[in-house]
Amino acid sequence: MAKGTFLSDDFLRQLTAVGEVDILVGVPTSNNRKTIEHVVSAIQIGLVKYFSRARTVLINPDAGSRDGTSELLRNASLPDFRTALATPPLRTMHTVTTRYHSSLGPGGALRLILAAADLLRAKACAIVSPDLISITPEWVDALIRPIYHEGYDYLAPIYQRQKFDGLLIKNILSPLISAVYGYRIEEPVGGEFGLSGNLACDLLGQDLWHEDFIRYGAPVWMTATALSGNYRLCQSFLGPKIQSSNQVEVGLADTIQRVVGALFRSLEMHEPQWISRNGSQTVPTFGFQSELDLGPLRVNRKKMCDMFRTGVAELFSILGKILSPATLASIQQVAQSDESCCHFTDELWVKTVYEFAIAYHHSVMNRDHLLQALTPIYRGRISSYLLENHGASFQELKARIESLRVRYENLKPYFITGWRAKA
Amino acid sequence: MNQKNFPFDDDPLWYKDAIFYEVHVRTFKDSDGDGIGDFRGLMEKLDYLEELGVNTLWLLPFYPSPLKDDGYDISNYTDIHPSYGTLEDFRLFLNEAHRRGMRVLTELVVNHTSDQHPWFQEARQSRDNPRRDWYVWSDTPEKYRNARIIFTDTEQSNWAWDSVSKAYYWHRFFSHQPDLNYDNPAVREEVWNIMKFWLDLGVDGFRLDAVPYLVEREGTSCENLPETHEVLKFLRHRLDTFYRCKFLLAEANQWPSDVRAYFGDGDECHVAFHFPLMPRMFMAVRLEDRKPVIEILEKTPPIPETCQWGIFLRNHDELTLEMVTDEERDYLYDEYAKDRIMRVNVGIRRRLAPLMENDRRRIELLNGLLLSLPGSPIIYYGDEIGMGDNVYLGDRNGVRTPMQWNGGWNAGFSNADPEMLYLPLISNALYGYQAVNVESQRRSMHSLLSWMKQIIRIRKSSRVFSRGSLEFLNPANHRVLAYIREAGQDKFLAVNNLSSSAQAVELDLRRFQGLIPIEMFGGNPFPRVNNRPYLLTLGPYQFFWFKLRKL
Repeated sequence: MAKGTFLSDDFLRQLTAVGEVDILVGVPTSNNRKTIEHVVSAIQIGLVKYFSRARTVLINPDAGSRDGTSELLRNASLPDFRTALATPPLRTMHTVTTRYHSSLGPGGALRLILAAADLLRAKACAIVSPDLISITPEWVDALIRPIYHEGYDYLAPIYQRQKFDGLLIKNILSPLISAVYGYRIEEPVGGEFGLSGNLACDLLGQDLWHEDFIRYGAPVWMTATALSGNYRLCQSFLGPKIQSSNQVEVGLADTIQRVVGALFRSLEMHEPQWISRNGSQTVPTFGFQSELDLGPLRVNRKKMCDMFRTGVAELFSILGKILSPATLASIQQVAQSDESCCHFTDELWVKTVYEFAIAYHHSVMNRDHLLQALTPIYRGRISSYLLENHGASFQELKARIESLRVRYENLKPYFITGWRAKA
Repeated sequence: MNQKNFPFDDDPLWYKDAIFYEVHVRTFKDSDGDGIGDFRGLMEKLDYLEELGVNTLWLLPFYPSPLKDDGYDISNYTDIHPSYGTLEDFRLFLNEAHRRGMRVLTELVVNHTSDQHPWFQEARQSRDNPRRDWYVWSDTPEKYRNARIIFTDTEQSNWAWDSVSKAYYWHRFFSHQPDLNYDNPAVREEVWNIMKFWLDLGVDGFRLDAVPYLVEREGTSCENLPETHEVLKFLRHRLDTFYRCKFLLAEANQWPSDVRAYFGDGDECHVAFHFPLMPRMFMAVRLEDRKPVIEILEKTPPIPETCQWGIFLRNHDELTLEMVTDEERDYLYDEYAKDRIMRVNVGIRRRLAPLMENDRRRIELLNGLLLSLPGSPIIYYGDEIGMGDNVYLGDRNGVRTPMQWNGGWNAGFSNADPEMLYLPLISNALYGYQAVNVESQRRSMHSLLSWMKQIIRIRKSSRVFSRGSLEFLNPANHRVLAYIREAGQDKFLAVNNLSSSAQAVELDLRRFQGLIPIEMFGGNPFPRVNNRPYLLTLGPYQFFWFKLRKL
């Protein structure tokens, strides 16, 4: 590899051979042998069925899989298109595989995909997780069509989720992003998304790829960047998202550190763009949302509640540096209440999140430690959320989430005051 | 057999080395000022064709005809349409062509006759007329329902009602073209007699028009039937028994696996058109992807050693899109015939240059493919100078306008009043005869005509083009179509950039390590092939032809 570049000669040679494309689909992998053929099949059929005339490429950055994932992907043969209700492709279907060091995290893979999009002048890109069981060819259409045909720059997915699935997104990421950036995006860190070639180039050109948070927080940062710039935004229904269970589960603390940390860092970077925005607006949503009830996700509420209480007690002094005395007192009150009436109100929760973001911004302590301290509080909030919504219907839950979003929005002045205040 | 004065060798496989030039007598040159081209006019222009370098002329039908289908509706098989001259004129033309080393291929349109042909007129007189059984009759239009209708724009059925004999007659093309009945041995004999007539005059071969449709059988598509192949074997056997170095060319617009049968075991046709390759060359250039060409050629079965494919870019018909998938057809229509008036039947009625938007680079690239892929190439008259078309003339007349010889009166085609011309000249600013004509292009070394002469000369310099094997190289860059052709010690490499942008390509030429690629247009040597990937860069639509030499 030449000095000063993150693109290997082999990767570059493969890209040179592909040349300009219309559509690029990126599938970062890391030991996904079990699912990769299914995912690639769905992508290939989707490309042929819905974009038969387009020049397409599948880019696979692999984090050094040792289970033959890359070989499987490279050799994935085209399925029988007739049975897939598609005609054979008009064009050569390209697959480019390259390796990157796993220490670079998903951000490293994203950077390679964006570089490929830039070099190949892709008009529309989609990123797809390699461990999907529920992916169908229609996902490709849903992710790409609004970008390719309608001129949108960024597309966030909407999944059909089980009740109580995606709680971090519903309680922090989505409403916080809506309130601060002014756009109502349901799934800002979905794992699947679409983006235009222009946005891909702009993201690639940002001078932050050396930052630590980008390794695991790239998707949040990418969404936030799209929302902060002058880009056309949309969402698309994909259906249920079911992933293979053989992936190593990332703990809640790590998830919060990666995802919420990336969002807090993004808020700092995008301050000039969002600071003067008021209210929020919906973005166009494509596709058809099924009403199918997937049933509730099982969560051990009692355990969460216990961990919340222990966490608040153990981290009290640290929380005192992060939170306002009033907020801390209210949290302590919740933590000391009886489990069955543990009630973490929306207002208290939103203030807590805002105060954590403010403390992060002002670097009141080591940022990793700060984010770790959020974990037990989040558990308390979720414990309360589960208790309150135990018997809620799909529609009632939706209204509940909307109400939380409004609360975030209403308290945005509180956030801005704290954000602007000197540490 | 009057061949003794002609400068031909006795190679019975001469058609493998043929470079065909397809021309209609009436389109080429009018010698008597009646506005219609004729044999004496064509004869005047033989020097031009010799200079161009083509060596086989394919003449469209010139027989007496009501001309309801541009001569493919023949009313007398053994004479010349008076507009084109006389049999004596034909004889003179043939001798002159032969004297210049050019062979002549004529049309054998014997799937059907004109309804004005005396045979049909007799046949319809009564049900017991001796000629009755020369055609296919029925009391019901329900027979052979599995046979598709070919001219979908004009015909509703393959049966037409004859009000004289009160019966239906079978026609696969226009209703004024009743099909002959090949189950009748007398018909086969008569067809042989027709062939014999022209062979004795010196004709070198026949293009067998609409050959898949000769015989009908209930419950079938009435195409490619075994009985049709029996007819062909019969005619071929007679040809081989009584004549030498003559040949048959099959027009079978079918998939390669079906066309393969028309070669038989080397005992049916010598040459057959490769219809499916043609639209795929156009598709490859538009898609900027070699896939369509490679796919169809890989699906093409091997043919007997004595046989050859006939390949072409354009001809007198529409650019037929029958041998493509629905998806491919939609794509080609959208890319090459956005305006619906450009479409006719199942195809596109446009010439090569307008299809390529008059882009010289693409015109050259397609001609480069035509002249380097396996098969005997067929050049359609006027395409060598980039003539345009007139889609407003109806049917396929837009690609059959007078040849443009110069920028003067009637483009040098005729001295008649312009109103008398059989079709109006192309006269728009881009393709009109003032802008596109032989005389002006002759004066420029860099004209398309001069380039065509050069590439034909190169093609004729080695039999590797006409007889060599084909091996595709599959470089990672799919925009580059590269192939090796080999015949004996001769080795040829073609590298074609199908895209509108410059491309780099690495070729695996290790098998030819030590050889020196000599670029055939300029004669320059390129770096010697070694055991590493051979890197080439090509400009937009650029192609290289290399002779691989051991020095």
